[in-house]
Amino acid sequence: MAVKIITDSLSDITSDLAEEFGITVVPLTVLFGHEQYLDRVTITTDEFYKRLINDSVWPTTTQPTPKAFAEVYDGLLGETDEILVIDASSKLSGTYQSAVGAKEMTEKKGRIEVIDSETVAMGLGLIVISAAMKAREGAGMDDLIKYVKSAINRSHFVVYFDTLTYLAKGGRIGKAKEFMGSVLSIKQILTVKDGEMAPLARKRSLVAGMDYLYNHVGSFRKIEALAVEHTTTQDEADKLANRVKSLEPDMRIYRSTVSPVLGVHGGPGAIAVTVLEAE
Amino acid sequence: MKQVDLINGREFREMLSTATSWLEKSASDVDALNVFPVPDGDTGTNMLLTMRSSVDEAYMHNNSGVAEAAKAIAQGALMGARGNSGVILSQIWKGMAEGLAEKKTINGVDIALALQKAADVAYKGITNPVEGTILTVVRDAAQAGQKCVEDGSTDPISVMEAVVEGAAESVANTPTLLPVLKEAGVVDAGGQGLYTILEGSLRYLRGEAEQMQFRKPQMIASSIPLPVRIPQISQVDEVPFGYCTEFMLKGEGFNPDKIRIRLKKEGESLIVVGDENTTRIHIHTIDPGKVIKYATSLGTLHQVSIRNMDEQYQDFLEVQKSRAVEVDTATIAVVSGDGLAEVFASLGTTAIVPGGQTMNPSTKDILQAVNAVVSDKVLILPNNKNIILTAEQVKTLSDKSIEVIPTQTIPQGVAALLAFDYEADFSTNAELMKEAISMVKTIEITRAVRSAQLDGLSIKKKQAIGLLDGELLAAGSNTIDILSKMLAKMDMNQNEIVTVYYGADTKSDEASQVSESIREQYPQLQVEVVKGGQPYYDYIVSIE
Repeated sequence: MAVKIITDSLSDITSDLAEEFGITVVPLTVLFGHEQYLDRVTITTDEFYKRLINDSVWPTTTQPTPKAFAEVYDGLLGETDEILVIDASSKLSGTYQSAVGAKEMTEKKGRIEVIDSETVAMGLGLIVISAAMKAREGAGMDDLIKYVKSAINRSHFVVYFDTLTYLAKGGRIGKAKEFMGSVLSIKQILTVKDGEMAPLARKRSLVAGMDYLYNHVGSFRKIEALAVEHTTTQDEADKLANRVKSLEPDMRIYRSTVSPVLGVHGGPGAIAVTVLEAE
Repeated sequence: MKQVDLINGREFREMLSTATSWLEKSASDVDALNVFPVPDGDTGTNMLLTMRSSVDEAYMHNNSGVAEAAKAIAQGALMGARGNSGVILSQIWKGMAEGLAEKKTINGVDIALALQKAADVAYKGITNPVEGTILTVVRDAAQAGQKCVEDGSTDPISVMEAVVEGAAESVANTPTLLPVLKEAGVVDAGGQGLYTILEGSLRYLRGEAEQMQFRKPQMIASSIPLPVRIPQISQVDEVPFGYCTEFMLKGEGFNPDKIRIRLKKEGESLIVVGDENTTRIHIHTIDPGKVIKYATSLGTLHQVSIRNMDEQYQDFLEVQKSRAVEVDTATIAVVSGDGLAEVFASLGTTAIVPGGQTMNPSTKDILQAVNAVVSDKVLILPNNKNIILTAEQVKTLSDKSIEVIPTQTIPQGVAALLAFDYEADFSTNAELMKEAISMVKTIEITRAVRSAQLDGLSIKKKQAIGLLDGELLAAGSNTIDILSKMLAKMDMNQNEIVTVYYGADTKSDEASQVSESIREQYPQLQVEVVKGGQPYYDYIVSIE
């Protein structure tokens, strides 16, 4: 029996991608006051970003409960006896802890392994997709764990922020906080380092920011997978994806929208690229 | 300008009322300057409340001359004094009232003499006067006033101008006198508060009360380079601070000197001020009970406040800790103008050395900043071609690794700073920053210091001239024309962003006109206007 791959909705794996690669996505919850929505399940990204910009209520997020994970485990343990869970950085979300806690709560028996990816968004998503492809090709649990741990070091997620206000309000700004309060209008470029958001560069304009992301991709010699994603500016992200395509004409570029639970922190106008460097 | 020969009682009250409103506008900024251990965590607020009590009292004696108004102000200050700074302020007013006794109207000479008296009384009220505080500022201000009178001035405005200037210099100098200020990277809060009161008074005399509603008092910058965000060095200090104990004693036949002697051994920072019927006491003591017990044997207690300073100190340390920023590579920028300093600080500059055109900092100034930052690796942005060599000199005087990025203009400095890569090592960053210099063009608009024939241009003295990357390109009477002429010579399709930093003497209305005209001519550009507050240059424009 093939190993089943689970991740959380911080991976930006869309339902299409989940279906294509046989990935199970456990959603986090977005809250507008007392209104609760399951990330990408009971609220679409379009609905969410409309409310993020226009609603006076500031949305918050909560991680899935261990029970939610345990139910997913039990659901899959009918089809398989081995499950690999790859979650977003434990420094950015408690989701990893819930997934670990749920291991003791299943009714059915089986081997469940949980890995902290130390990254987020497509930085996590590309690791999950590649692991799912390996699993489908028949890789065993031990090989998959080895592969994922190596992929964590090869996944390079870089994000352009139109504003850092949302990241700061959500308390996820980490070391990037010194970029706050700039007198000039500055576009910030961050990455995830040691599981936390970290500053990378600052640009004065969207164009310069997109150049930076493009050059980031160009700086790798061998690439295994590529992703481009956005919160609200699909046109700009499409343009960037086309430019990136010229660097790797034969490669599929995964396109996604940043999940509401991440969009809460990313805010409008954010665009990210992820490079999964080849081994 | 408005001419004032004599100030009457009504004007004196109005002046103080206006100065109090002026202080109110920056009270929170003054609060932010606090350094622990201070008895009162909110210097600005405390001084404001003290001044309000003064003004209220003054308005109760409505039809009086200056002498009575000043007396009422002093009485009000004593009754309403809050915190250390408030009590000292009440002493300053007591001295002023003594100096202005029996005067119905006053001129500049009277003001200078009264300030002298105020400084004397303020020093006497304190058991251990500390230099680099409000005390130093009132003394320096009084001396500046005195000198102005000796030079022959008698009108209130001239004398107050000298007083305000003296106070400003004194405030800027406080970090040199008081190490705790230097470490914290701030000027003295009480001194800044007093400066604001004096400056507000001067503005009233000049007839600017109307305009003051739309402006904010200026915060004085230190005269020595201070790191922008140097983390507070929190020594492990086991000495407990005890309780900040404050109250007013009412009764009969008090002798403040005797009370002072009796309480001296009970604690630190003792202030006993007042007269035989009303005395205000402020002390930091381990045992407030003893102080209170003694005081109740003398009279009745009012406005009693006892605060645990160890608790306050812990809170203070927590705040400091959260503010501290670890830096691997420090950047030091030479900048003049409040607005530009803020631009650089907000982009992560570790330390700012004040200076620029016609006020080049010395090697020592820059060296001090290099020594002050908590990092072994330092990048210096001179932002002026005359400062690059000075900065280079620092390399030989310090053990730290130093790279000078040869930025010749403010926009080059900003571009270099933005090129800083957080993931790159020291030498790579130095390279990246040097490369970034050529990515930006700088237009500077300033005034000709003399008439000249240069580069085929005929320039009249004080005429506006425009420089592109240091090269003289245009001259004329209209700055907007000059700027558009210069922009027309450049290929603006190659550029995206224009940032206009307008100078200290440039009106914001004019700056908006300038940016509007750029937007009209080049609609594809992103135009940003920032108050740079730089001297001499009406405009510094960055084109990238």
